[in-house]
Order: sequence, then C-alpha cells, then structure tokens
Amino acid sequence: MTLDSKIPSGPLAQKWDNHKFASKLVNPANRRKHTVIIVGTGLAGASAASSLGELGYNVLSFCIHDSPRRAHSIAAQGGINAAKNYQNDGDSIYRLFYDTIKGGDYRAREANVYRLAQSSVSIIDQCVAQGVPFAREYGGQLDNRSFGGAQVSRTFYARGQTGQQLLLGAYQSMQRQVAKGTVKQFAQREMLDLVLINGQARGIIVRNLITGAIERYVADAVCLATGGYGTVYYLSTNAVNSNVTAAWRAHKRGAFFANPCFTQIHPTCIPVSGEHQSKLTLMSESLRNDGRVWVPKNKGDKRHPNDIPESERDYYLERKYPSFGNLVPRDVASRNAKLVCDDGHGVGESGLAVYLDFKNAIDRLGHDVVAGRYGNLFEMYEKITGENPYNEPMRMYPAIHYTMGGLWVDYNLMSNVQGLHVLGEANFSDHGANRLGASALMQGLADGYFVIPYTLAHYIAGASIEKVTTDHDAFKEAEDNVQSRINKLLAVKGSKTPRQLHRELGRVMWDDVGMARNEKGLKNALAQIPKLRDEFWQNVSIPGDQNNLNKNLEYAGRVADYLEFAELLALDALTRTESCGGHFREESQTPDQEARRDDEHFTHVSAWEFKGVGTAPTLHKEPLVFEEVHPSQRSYK
Amino acid sequence: MRALRMLGSSVGNKLLLGLTGLALFGFLLFHLFGNLLGFLGPEIYNEHAHALISNPLIIPAEFGILAIFLTHIYKAVVNYWKNRAARPVAYGVKKWAGGPSRKSVGSTTMIWTGLSVLIFVAIHLKLFKYGPVYFEAGTGVRDLYRLLIDDFRRPGIVAGYVLAMFLLGLHLRHGISSSIQSLGLMPESWTARILRAGIVLAILIAGLFAVIPVAVYFGAIR
Amino acid sequence: MRIHLTVWRQSGPKDAGRFITYTAEDVSPDQSFLEMLDVVNEQLIKKGEEPIAFDSDCREGICGTCGFMVSGIPHGPEPGTTVCQLHMRKFKDGDSLTLEPWRAEAFPVIKDLVVDRSAFDKIIQAGGYTSVNTGGARDANAILIGKSIADAAMDSAACIGCGACVAACKNASAALFTSAKITHLSLLPQGQVERTTRVVNMVAAMDDAGFGSCSNEGECEAVCPKGISLKNIATMNREYWKAMLAD
Ligand SMILES: Cc1cc2nc3c(=O)[nH]c(=O)nc-3n(C[C@H](O)[C@H](O)[C@H](O)COP(=O)(O)OP(=O)(O)OC[C@H]3O[C@@H](n4cnc5c(N)ncnc54)[C@H](O)[C@@H]3O)c2cc1C
Ligand code: FES
Repeated sequence: MTLDSKIPSGPLAQKWDNHKFASKLVNPANRRKHTVIIVGTGLAGASAASSLGELGYNVLSFCIHDSPRRAHSIAAQGGINAAKNYQNDGDSIYRLFYDTIKGGDYRAREANVYRLAQSSVSIIDQCVAQGVPFAREYGGQLDNRSFGGAQVSRTFYARGQTGQQLLLGAYQSMQRQVAKGTVKQFAQREMLDLVLINGQARGIIVRNLITGAIERYVADAVCLATGGYGTVYYLSTNAVNSNVTAAWRAHKRGAFFANPCFTQIHPTCIPVSGEHQSKLTLMSESLRNDGRVWVPKNKGDKRHPNDIPESERDYYLERKYPSFGNLVPRDVASRNAKLVCDDGHGVGESGLAVYLDFKNAIDRLGHDVVAGRYGNLFEMYEKITGENPYNEPMRMYPAIHYTMGGLWVDYNLMSNVQGLHVLGEANFSDHGANRLGASALMQGLADGYFVIPYTLAHYIAGASIEKVTTDHDAFKEAEDNVQSRINKLLAVKGSKTPRQLHRELGRVMWDDVGMARNEKGLKNALAQIPKLRDEFWQNVSIPGDQNNLNKNLEYAGRVADYLEFAELLALDALTRTESCGGHFREESQTPDQEARRDDEHFTHVSAWEFKGVGTAPTLHKEPLVFEEVHPSQRSYK
Repeated sequence: MRALRMLGSSVGNKLLLGLTGLALFGFLLFHLFGNLLGFLGPEIYNEHAHALISNPLIIPAEFGILAIFLTHIYKAVVNYWKNRAARPVAYGVKKWAGGPSRKSVGSTTMIWTGLSVLIFVAIHLKLFKYGPVYFEAGTGVRDLYRLLIDDFRRPGIVAGYVLAMFLLGLHLRHGISSSIQSLGLMPESWTARILRAGIVLAILIAGLFAVIPVAVYFGAIR
Repeated sequence: MRIHLTVWRQSGPKDAGRFITYTAEDVSPDQSFLEMLDVVNEQLIKKGEEPIAFDSDCREGICGTCGFMVSGIPHGPEPGTTVCQLHMRKFKDGDSLTLEPWRAEAFPVIKDLVVDRSAFDKIIQAGGYTSVNTGGARDANAILIGKSIADAAMDSAACIGCGACVAACKNASAALFTSAKITHLSLLPQGQVERTTRVVNMVAAMDDAGFGSCSNEGECEAVCPKGISLKNIATMNREYWKAMLAD
C-alpha cells in the first residue's frame, strides 16, 4: 500500500490557500445533520470541538477527565510560538517553518510545517480575542520571550501557565457551544474501540467511567485528539492518566502508527526520589537561560555542591558547546546529562542528576530579579525536594516529556482509515524527530482551530456516508470486543498491581529504549516486553467490578495497551538505525558523540500496520521530499 | 423587572443584606447618639427624643426602618436555609483554615446573634417605646429619661441589655466589613483597614450602648 | 514514618459511606501525599480489596483534578498547595489524618474521595467566555492591555477549578470560582461586550446548581491552592449591581 500524503501541489507558501480553495464545503444548513465525534479535550480536541460547533456541526465530545478543562494540555508551562515578529527581530513564517524543520532533524513534511507556521499567527489573535491573559509589556503590547534556544523571541506566554490559559480559552469556547447545543459533552468516557463501517470510521465504543456502562456513539467522522504516549515509560512529565489506548485501539482497527520511536526527553526535570515516584515534574526550560549546568570533575564526589570549588566543577555544556552553552536543544542537553552521569559524575542520592546553578545569576542580577523570573519554579522545586534553590543548586535529570510519533495522517489530518482524523500530539505530523519548545501548543491549536474545520468539511462533503445507527453489527462486534477484554482483565485475579507491571515496563523502556538506544538494548526490550505482557495477563490484580468507578480497572486497561504498544516503539527504534532528533542510536554517532543522521536510508516516515498482538507489524514508508530546505547535519558547537 | 428578579439570587440576596445592614448600622449610630445624650441630663435627652417623636416624618421613618429591618431578617433567614441546603451532609472533621481567612466567632454566628438582636429589639420596644408613659412636669414632653432610670435600676434588665449588646457587637464585628464586601466596595488597598475598622466600630458601638445601663445601675447617671 | 489514616469509603453515589482506618507504613518524607496513598492502594489491591478511589492527573498542582479534605482542610494544611503537591515531610511520624471528600449538594460523591464537579462546567456554560468565533479575530496587538490589568486578569484566571473553595465554605458556595472567571473577563477589553449578561447568567447558574451564597468569611481564599483573592467576589458583587442598574 502506498501512503498518499495528499500534499497539495504548487509553491510551498501557497499550498494551504490553494488547498482550502480546492476543498469541498458543507452547506451551512446541512451541517447540523452531520455528527462528528471528537475524542479528547486538550488543546487540539477542545479547539476542534468549539470551531466545528460554531460552524454548526453536531459535535459529540469525549474525554476521560471529569471536566474537559483538565486535559493534560493544562500543564504546559513555557509558552506558545507564533511567527508574529512583534519584536522586529527577524522572525517570519518562513523562519518558524525553517526552524521547525531543522529542529525536527528533517523528518517532518515541509507542507505541514509550513501550514503550521502560517496558522501560528492567527492562533494568537484568536486566543487574545477569547480573553487569554498573555503577558504584556508596560505599553500594553504582547510580550515575547526566546524559548528553547531559539534565536528570535517568538514565544507568547501567560506566566508559567500558558497551557492552562490556552486550554481554558478553548474550553470556554467549547462550553459556549455546549450551552448552544451544538456540542454535547461526554466527560468521564473512555474510548475503547473504533467502529468501522464500509471501511469508514463511523463511531466509537466508550466505557462510562462512573457507571461502568459500555456505550455506543455513531457519527459521520471521528477525530482523535487523545494526546501522547509518554507514560509508556511509566515515569514521565505527562499527567498520570495520559495513555495510548484510544490511538492504539484505532491502530488495531487499521490506522497506521507512524514513527513511534520519536520520543522527546526534557533535560530539566526533578530527579526521581524513590520507588514510590508516580510522575516526574518538569522545570521550565527557561531556567537554562540563567542557570548553569555542571557536575563535579571528580567522579563520585559526594561533597555538598556549595563546598565544591569552582576549579573542580565541570560546566560541560559550556565547555562542549561554546556558542550555545547551556541553551543547546533539549536532546543535546539531555544526552549530555546522561553521558556525564553514566561516566560517574552524577550527583544526588542516585547519582542520576546534574546541577543547575543560579549562584552566578543571583550575584549578577540580584535575588529579586531572579525571583521575579523564576520565583514560582523555585517554590515548586522546594515544595517537591525540600531544598532551596536560592541557596544551593537545583538537581536536574532528563525525563520523557513528549512524543512526536503518533497515528499517521495525511495533509488533511486524516489517517489511512477513511473518516478517522487525528489531531494534536496524538498524530505524528509536524515535529519530525524532535519538537521545538513551545510548538506543541501551537500545533494542537492549529489543528483544531484552523485545519480541521476545512479538511473535515472536505471529507464529509466528498465521502459517501451511509446512514447507520448504533444497532449496526459493527457496533455490536466492537462492543463485544470491548466487553470481553474487560471480562478478561477482571478474570485474571492475580497478585500484581497494574502499577507494579507498569513500573516494570517503564524500567525496560527507559533503560533500553530511552535516551540512547542500541541494537542490543532494543533487542533485549523486544524480548522483555512480551514476557511482561504475558505476566500481566496471568497475574494482574483488579479488585472490584466493572459497574462503577474503578480506577484500577481503567488503569489496567491502559497498561495492557502499553504492553502491546511498547513493542512497536522498540521495534521502530530498532529498525531506524540512524540517529535523528530525539532518537539517538549509539551506533550512529559522530566521533565527538553527536547524532548522525542517515538521510540516504531514513528520509521517510515509518508507518506501521498492525498485524496482531505478538505478530510483526508491516512497515510502510512515506518518503519525505525536501523541496525548500536542504537537510544539513545539525550542529550546535 | 430583571433587576427585581436579580435581587432574589444569592448575590442579590447578599446585596440587599449588605445594604439593609449598612442602613441599620447608620440607624444604630443615630440611636447611639441619642442614648449618649443621657450623660448630659434629662432635659437634653428628652428634648432630642421629643424632637424625633413630634416630627411628622417619624411615622414614615419608623415604617422605613421596620421595612429595612424585616428585609434584613427575611433575607438572612432565607439565605441561612439555602446555605444549609447547599451542604446537606456535614463533614466528619472540619477545621478553620486560618491564614487570610476572616472567619471569626462573629462570622459563624451571624444568624444566631442576629435573631437574638431581633428578640432584644422586641423586648426593647415593649419596655421603652410601648412602655409606661411619663411626661415631664407641666409639658407635653415624654419623660423617657425617667423610664431609662427606672428600667436600668433593675439588674435583670441591665444584664439582659449588656448581653444583647455583646451579641450585637459580635454581629457587627463581621457585619460591618461584610456589608462593604457584599456591596463590592472593598478596594484592595483598603481591605485591611476596613476589616480593622469594622472590628473597632463593633466594639465601640456595642460598648457605648452597654455603658449607659451600667452607668445608670451604678448611679453615674441618675 | 507511619501515618494513620481514617478514610471515607463509599462504594457508590447511593451508598451510605463510613470511615475506615488504615495505616501507611514506611512513608518517605519525599513522597507526595498521593504517592503515599498510591502505596496504601497497592497494598489493598494485593490483598484483593478495592483501593481508595481518589482523583488526580497532572500531579503538579495545575489541572485541578485532585482534592479532598485532609483533617478538615481542603488539600491539607500547607497553604497554596494542592494535595498532589503536598509532601509527606509536612507530617510527623505517628500523625493521624482524616480524609474525606468535598461535601456539597452540588458536588455529589461518586465514590470514596471522588466527587462530581460538573456543576462548575455549567457555570462556565452560562457565560464564562467571550462570544467570538474562530477566524476573523483582529491582530492581537490591536488590543492594548496595560501590564497591570493583564497581570490582574491573570491572577483571576489562574483558578484551577478544583473545588476547594466550595469544600471550605460553610455554605458550600461557589462564589470564589464564579467570581474569578467574571473578574478575569470583566477586567479585559475583550470581556466588555457581554459584561452585564455574563455576571447575571453565571450567578443564576451558580444558584441553580445548588451552591450556597457567600458569607464573606474567606475560608475559600485561605485554602485556595492558587491564592485566588476574595476581591474577586467583591468584583462580582459590584458587577452584579451595576448590571442591575444597567437594566
Ligand atoms: C509538563 C509539560 C509542559 C509542557 N509545556 C509545553 C510548552 O510550554 N509549550 C508547548 O508547546 N508544549 C508543551 N508541552 C506539550 C503539550 O502540553 C502537549 O503536547 C499538548 O498539550 C497536547 O495536547 P493534545 O490536545 O494533543 O492532548 P492532551 O492535552 O493530552 O489531551 C488529551 C485528551 O484526550 C482525552 N483522552 C485520552 N485518552 C482518552 C480515551 N481513551 N478516551 C477518551 N478520551 C481520552 C483526555 O481526557 C484529554 O482530554 C508540555 C507538556 C508537559 C507534559
Ligand atoms: S492532580 Fe492536577 S492539581 Fe493535583
């Protein structure tokens, strides 16, 4: 099967305009006759629900949370990029496009990325109109900052709560549509299967998480905006209920999963403090603007950091990357932290941490300025660790943060399954092998506000969609499928908790499919995962029953899916023998330990087709064509 | 029409409570002024009272105050029941949060101190306004001063009065600043001052009211 | 550390609940409160008993999913902190703690420590937005907003909708939650068009949901993990009578 990305023809800058013009429309009077299911209410899902509701479609919105407003997007701190060039510092749509392609290590589609950069401009306008309280200058204009080592200041932010404010904006717009009746909101519903009729995505099966009832919903098209799969590593910066379940079940129904091995590690997270740890807390990237990263020069130096003299400290990022210093991209910073720790220079109890030091900044700028910039982060750090970063350096270690991979979609955000659209972090589309800071929020909102309203109309207007109800056999089959899986879970009655098994999976993933990967480790992971999966199905314990709130049952279902999905992730990592972006293969590095891409063999998207649990999936390759930018080796020296 | 309906909402209720509360507070101040004239002797005291009673506007004014008073009570009681219904199941353990919270014994007992004041007012009216009528010798001026002295020589009445003023003080301790907050007239830079002023005024008003019976009882006013 | 827990267990919305005691052993001071409960739950699951149901997601104090009473105070004793960010180093070995769900007519208990807060969505649906459709917004910098106004709006917008304010209030009032949204939008030029209807409708929705009224005690402010101030309620009240006069 050839994957058709449906990239419009014409010059890059005009593709989207041309495409919009060429797209079919749905008559306003007819829209309410078309039902659209949107699963997920993060930035992508909520923005899509509100926009489609405004257009007049009959939207059914689902999420696992108790309110749409709690989606994981709420936790994003740093900001959102947009090519507004308000700072007159040379930014442009083209530059944002270029930075994103380059940052993604030339593994994203040019046309998608260009459209993303174009939409970014409208996103800020839209959010401001909604009343999102972005930071302002004294003169009343919007403030920007430079983020994640970008050379221009294009990041808009609302204190350290940008994701929250953007999500609340989208949520509020969506609630307005709920009040108008165009959007029907189904909170605390977990999508457990996708229903296909005549090869088209026509509905979903959900479990009502409060009553336990299995429910069927039918629609003309289905949009998944269910977020990323970072929690396959157990410990990550993602919210604890994040999961791959919806995407995975869609994958099992035929949707291809693209580039699952493209995962992003964030360099500055609070290190693990013990076995009990349930998640890792991100400390904003902005800390690296003023903080200096170092480790003791002597291996195993257990002295208090304040007692280690300057001459015995290794500011390794400044040493190795004199021009970017502490501001190298996430993957570079993360990998270097791992290198120094593996080499025995790590600090803290576990030896798995590096210092991020603000002493110089405090001396230079004064306590108050530093407090003004990072006060809330310092407070958060102190709350969690009990240590005061004004007096001693923070301890930091990388953690899984974002997943660039996801369900394969074409330019219209439609998967290879007709009618199944995928938005936000759940799709694979725009970030290539590595995402730039502050670009995930941008992508989620671009997809929901400015892409899907056009492309979904095009699909609905063009497809021949048979009239069906939830009595259709396909719904019954899917519901039975869901029910039997739940029965199977409840019947195991073993002795291990889902969390224990998840933690074990996470350890395998982190050790062998984490920051630096090699063939041996990946093969080991591929041997371990099926064993863990078998153990899960023989030994998981889920007290209680299906017919009420049973968080452990929900969780077990998600872990079960991860135990299947993890294998695909590891296999993808094994197959891609190059290093690129967040995917670092130790076999493919330059003499000075930098990532080395293999453009000749890997300038493609790897899209995997499900063939059964435990059966090797089929790989489909979508070649990436670069017409505008020419892949070069990234260098931050 | 909508405005009327709006007064029935929880916020409308509180607006009315705040407004009537402040009006009653004004009335209290005026009343206190009259009482304190007692320290200046019977003539001035009775003259002030007479000026009020003989004013043709006294009837509408009294009805006005009554209406305000009844509205205040009615709204407070309605509010109380609605609020009870909002938490049908009580906590097993509940603590005060402390910190910036303004919760106080006064704030938690508003309905009870308020109703106590209502009972007090009823007794008070019975004893004073509708009590025995004396006249200053040879004039048509009602000698309320004499009534004052007579009543406040009785320890039971003095004790009851002082207790009532204590409860009134508790009510005002929360009530004064709370009214201002309810009306949304609490500018941030003034909040701390208004809160403090509310407490000081409550103590002052209750204290000065209570001083009179005590003074009479101990013979400082005779 | 060893911590004694008295936990409200209620198997469903209609069941009568009761307190049951558990002991958390080997609690590390580095654990968060929820991680401590995770461990208790692990042990319950291994014994084949149903774990204590509680809600959480971000575990960073921003999503507002978590929240229950810890010995009579929403989110526990540390000011400005959600229970997911509360760490065990704030407690002592041998402490006894009582865990209870938020209690309010408008927040029915679903199970154990989990309540239904959909009433908050209803309040937002009544007007907690600006009615602008996607597309056609003018350039963001065409609306100038002074820094102090933007900061004040952000202060109000920081609400995470956890419901601690309702839980703390003796009247189970949602005034702090509702007023925070009203204030956020009333401060900004974008919110002016619907300023009047917004406050009227949101207050009505708050009442319809069964929340009580504000007694101006400020327990809500004291327990709010995001420090949302009581001045928001004053603003709401002021907006309300202005709306009344505008009628
Ligand atoms: C700590 C942190 C900080 C970040 N900071 C930034 C930043 O500063 N800038 C930036 O650009 N990006 C940032 N990101 C990344 C960004 O937040 C996410 O990539 C983005 O918000 C994802 O949005 P989404 O809409 O795709 O999915 P999500 O927000 O994850 O939403 C997923 C939705 O799907 C629902 N759902 C999931 N599974 C199911 C199911 N089976 N059935 C039904 N519903 C389901 C959930 O209820 C939820 O509503 C950060 C991420 C983290 C973890
Ligand atoms: S879990 Fe998100 S605020 Fe506590």
